[in-house]
Amino acid sequence: MTAGTPADGLPARSRGVIALLEENCTVCMLCARECPDWCIYIESHQEPVPGAEYGGAGDRRRVRNVLDRFAIDFSLCMYCGICVEACPYDALFWSPEFSYAETDIAALTHEQGRLREWMWTVPPPPAHDQGQRPPRD
Amino acid sequence: MTPEEIIAAAGAGLPPEVRCEPDHGGVMLRVPPGHWLAGLAFARERLDCDFFDWLTAVDEADEGFSVVVHVYSLAGRHHVLLATALPRSAPRLPTATGVYRGAAWHERETHEMFGIGFDGHPHLAPLLLPDGFEGHPLRKDFVLAARAAKEWPGAKEPGERGVPGKRGVPRARRRGPPHVPHGWRPA
Repeated sequence: MTAGTPADGLPARSRGVIALLEENCTVCMLCARECPDWCIYIESHQEPVPGAEYGGAGDRRRVRNVLDRFAIDFSLCMYCGICVEACPYDALFWSPEFSYAETDIAALTHEQGRLREWMWTVPPPPAHDQGQRPPRD
Repeated sequence: MTPEEIIAAAGAGLPPEVRCEPDHGGVMLRVPPGHWLAGLAFARERLDCDFFDWLTAVDEADEGFSVVVHVYSLAGRHHVLLATALPRSAPRLPTATGVYRGAAWHERETHEMFGIGFDGHPHLAPLLLPDGFEGHPLRKDFVLAARAAKEWPGAKEPGERGVPGKRGVPRARRRGPPHVPHGWRPA
């Protein structure tokens, strides 16, 4: 019998799959640039900020980046976690789920929706150390 | 032996050029290349480190290479790391196989990955790399050719659609992917 299945309770920090909280992604491209395997694909475009079409300060049209595609190719990923570390906006998380083997290698490229679904399997962050200053936010 | 006892024994039994320092619960002995074999023999015989764990190298860029060995005492349960610094121009060491026979494969791998020579090695043939492979892949200056063949996903600017570089030349594109010299193309 294999020990260490999710039923046995894997450690919360297990590197099973990377989840995307797309609401937090600002398309800064940092993860795609830091990834040593080049396995993160991001497509985005710019849109005017609603309500600011007719100029704010200096009558400049304000735009924001909108995410169109976020995909991780888990056939290339080496699970180093640099993208999770690099993300300054808390959009990438480790999930301990590992059961997503495929017979078709192309199916290992998880698109945005699937990466977002993995978010539901992300464990809560570990408790603060005893005596640690409480978080400010 | 405790780390303190190992450091005391090494200080008494090894030449004064050897630097001893505690390292992650064990001891790191930094020996000059000329005392490499003496240091290994000392670890095996006097420090009772009968278990050879691994040998590898570290590319220290301008400071050349370090060759590092980890040995362990099964009876005393203590760890010892031995390291020596080699110049980049002529990285050579006498083989450790006379002291630890198990070092043979590790030296073959270190030879092909870092281009470090081991004088007196019985069979210094490539171990893992395919026949005809050129270069030493674990050296920092080794060009990652696969990165020139594939388009870098990080080349796009935030908010940029489609082919990168359409809105002028973005900064990341100009800088190019890491570990590929600017303008480098595979032969």
